[in-house]
Amino acid sequence: MANKSIDTIKYGLLRIIDVSGFTIFDPVVRLLFGEEPAKQTSKILKYIVIPTIFLFVCIWLWASIAPTHKTKSGQVPTPSQVIETVETNYRQYEREQEKKTAFLTTGSERDAQIKAAKERLKSLEEESKAAQSELTKVEESSLTEIENNLAPFKKEIEAIAAKLKTLTSSAKTEQTALADAIAAGTAKPETLIQAIADFETQKEALTEKRSELNKQLTEAREDPDALKAARLRANAVANEIQHTNSVIDHYEKKNREYQVNELMTKADAAAALASSSKDPKDILKAAKDQVRNTKKIEDVQEREYAPTSTVFWHQIKRSIFTVFVGFVIAAVIAIPIGMMCGLNRIAMACFTPIISIFKPVSPVVWLLIFQIIVGAFFPDPENHPLFVLSSTLPFIQDLGVNPAMVFSACTVAMCAVWPALVNTALAVSSIEQDHLNVARVLKLGFFDRLFKIIIPSSLPLVFAGLRISLGVGWMVLIAAEALSSSDGLGKFVWDEYQNGSSFSFANIIMACFIVGIIGFFLDRLMICLQRLVSFDEDGATV
Amino acid sequence: MSFLELKDVSIGFGPVSNRYEVLQNVNLSIKENEFVAVIGFSGSGKSTLMNLLAGLEKPDKGEVLLRGQPITGPGPELGMMFQNYSLLPWMSVYENIDLAVRSARPEIARSERKDYIMHYISMVKLDHAPDKKPHELSGGMRQRASLARTLCIRPEVLLLDEPLSALDALTRSDLQDEILRIWGEDKKTVVMITNDVDEAVLMTDRIVPLTMGPAATLDTPFEVNMARPRDRYTLNNNQEFIRLKTDITSYMMGLSQEKKKAAAAKVPMPDIAPKDFSLPSKRLGFKNLQAVSPASSSKA
Repeated sequence: MANKSIDTIKYGLLRIIDVSGFTIFDPVVRLLFGEEPAKQTSKILKYIVIPTIFLFVCIWLWASIAPTHKTKSGQVPTPSQVIETVETNYRQYEREQEKKTAFLTTGSERDAQIKAAKERLKSLEEESKAAQSELTKVEESSLTEIENNLAPFKKEIEAIAAKLKTLTSSAKTEQTALADAIAAGTAKPETLIQAIADFETQKEALTEKRSELNKQLTEAREDPDALKAARLRANAVANEIQHTNSVIDHYEKKNREYQVNELMTKADAAAALASSSKDPKDILKAAKDQVRNTKKIEDVQEREYAPTSTVFWHQIKRSIFTVFVGFVIAAVIAIPIGMMCGLNRIAMACFTPIISIFKPVSPVVWLLIFQIIVGAFFPDPENHPLFVLSSTLPFIQDLGVNPAMVFSACTVAMCAVWPALVNTALAVSSIEQDHLNVARVLKLGFFDRLFKIIIPSSLPLVFAGLRISLGVGWMVLIAAEALSSSDGLGKFVWDEYQNGSSFSFANIIMACFIVGIIGFFLDRLMICLQRLVSFDEDGATV
Repeated sequence: MSFLELKDVSIGFGPVSNRYEVLQNVNLSIKENEFVAVIGFSGSGKSTLMNLLAGLEKPDKGEVLLRGQPITGPGPELGMMFQNYSLLPWMSVYENIDLAVRSARPEIARSERKDYIMHYISMVKLDHAPDKKPHELSGGMRQRASLARTLCIRPEVLLLDEPLSALDALTRSDLQDEILRIWGEDKKTVVMITNDVDEAVLMTDRIVPLTMGPAATLDTPFEVNMARPRDRYTLNNNQEFIRLKTDITSYMMGLSQEKKKAAAAKVPMPDIAPKDFSLPSKRLGFKNLQAVSPASSSKA
């Protein structure tokens, strides 16, 4: 009995692996359950260990080649630098979250938090002091170290300069003497020419050596690692202090409750002033102020924290949402039209020219067209019902739906519609004649035929098409976001390319990996769906 | 009076320029509750004949009559059992039959439907597998399910299009007995297509040979006047069985010989076209390429 339940777990796990398409982990599961250990181990070695080693070799190649290539945006980032930028970006996200909670905290909790933050600030300041003094110490020591390092080079350079000087002067006297001799007829002109040539080669050798030494000198002048590390530490602490200050600010002056209270006291004071006054003008003014203040207070009470957009998770969420919207639009258009084309040859003939002409059009062109056409629907985006509505819906309100996002989604839809459409048409038109004959013999009505026979039998191919569509959509989205400045991974890459700070290049590489990993998981998701709807023994081909 | 009748039926396919006459002047008259086999070589138009009887195809000439009324299209009164099961692979056995019952026997109330379906499932001895999907069943079990689906709509005529040809010999004889048993319990007009003489003699009342195509037609039937039930174990010693089998086989072989002779009668002309030594032109190469390249289909 126990054996049986273990088997159930085992085959359940294997089935999950199979459906999700991670079949390379199949031997691991089998090994864990003790099935043919020798065979499984050899499989693991062949299909997991060796590929992993290969991956590490690739990373090692990257790490060793990257620093040798200098570009105008700095050197190509190494894997460790990319990991560092991931950490930096993630920290940015955490800090934004911290500020957000600070903005919303109320009451005694707020006071406690302020106290804690201030204490943290104090300790940070001490840390900073220590770091600064450490830095100055390291700076001094490294200054002398650098001087010491430079001294031999400087000496040598001076020696070469002196040599050059003596060489030049001696050559000059020699050459004038020779010239005189030639004029007197005691020497041949060739000797002078030879002497001049000799001098030139000597001089050249010396200058070359000098420039070589100068290069070494600049290299030696570079800060030692200890100094760099100390500087980084000091910077990090300073950064943290700045952040803590900002957090405190959000607990104090920028805090929502604080602002509301502030306004309320002001309003109360004004009201008190008005009630004590006897001047009707004052009373009128006070009443007006009252109304204005109430409105202001309401506004502040409803205000939300406005975070700066960060890759984690704001931009990633936004990109995924946009591609999802575009994909759904594409599927909603493609599947019915594809079915129509598959069922009816006239419909197919009608749509074929449209499909053939618009399918190869570049996403960039679609984006521009949508910006113009769809843009015309949003003359005043701030008050357009779509965006007003989207700012009240849960999940979506934080994403900041705007026209740029709509354009990107439309572009995604336009490019993703074709594979799904073509595949659906193919799926429907290639339904087995036998199944259709069954429908005829049973005299099924149109809807029974559609829902009992046509749709189920075409689903695997339709999902294969949808999978291609989602892949295309995700690729198109990144380009569309970059061009339409719709917040998301595409825009992140574009902005990084434009601003060119020292982290930009690493950020771009990071975005490349994020895009790839998300694309991979989207594809897996579609494979799972495709497998779940397919009815053959082995599932649809992956 | 004949129950099911084919009157001077002809059918062909293809455009006028390249017409292929499949059946020509086919006449057949079947009595009620008769079990008739149509026997013929593969490619002689047996399945086309069946599609005509099922109303899936319309004859070019002549008419197909059921109780004297022309058949206008397929319907539940003509129960067709297909050669390759044609079970819907995304539905279980039960669901497959359920679909048929719902659409062809809507008068059966929801509460009775389950019992009704289970009755047919147990009739074909699939009680243990009503929730299995077709791909989880063996060929024989699939054909049983298909039989149950055909029977459950209570057709007036049962059309069996080579129902057993895809099965192995043992499963085949098992299912033959099954079909005979069911037919014995619930008499029905049956038309079965087969290419197996033994099967035809064992099961049916009358065997109609189909001549070789193109333009095939039905020849004089062989009456099978053996008492039922027929026991397959003693049949090999039955004189009548041996005689019929020999007659039909020799008739069919005769057909085949005739066809070969007919083909041979066309005097083959010697190939006297001059050999072409010129270089193949680009145009020719392109043509060849087109002929070779398969139709592109983007199955992802």
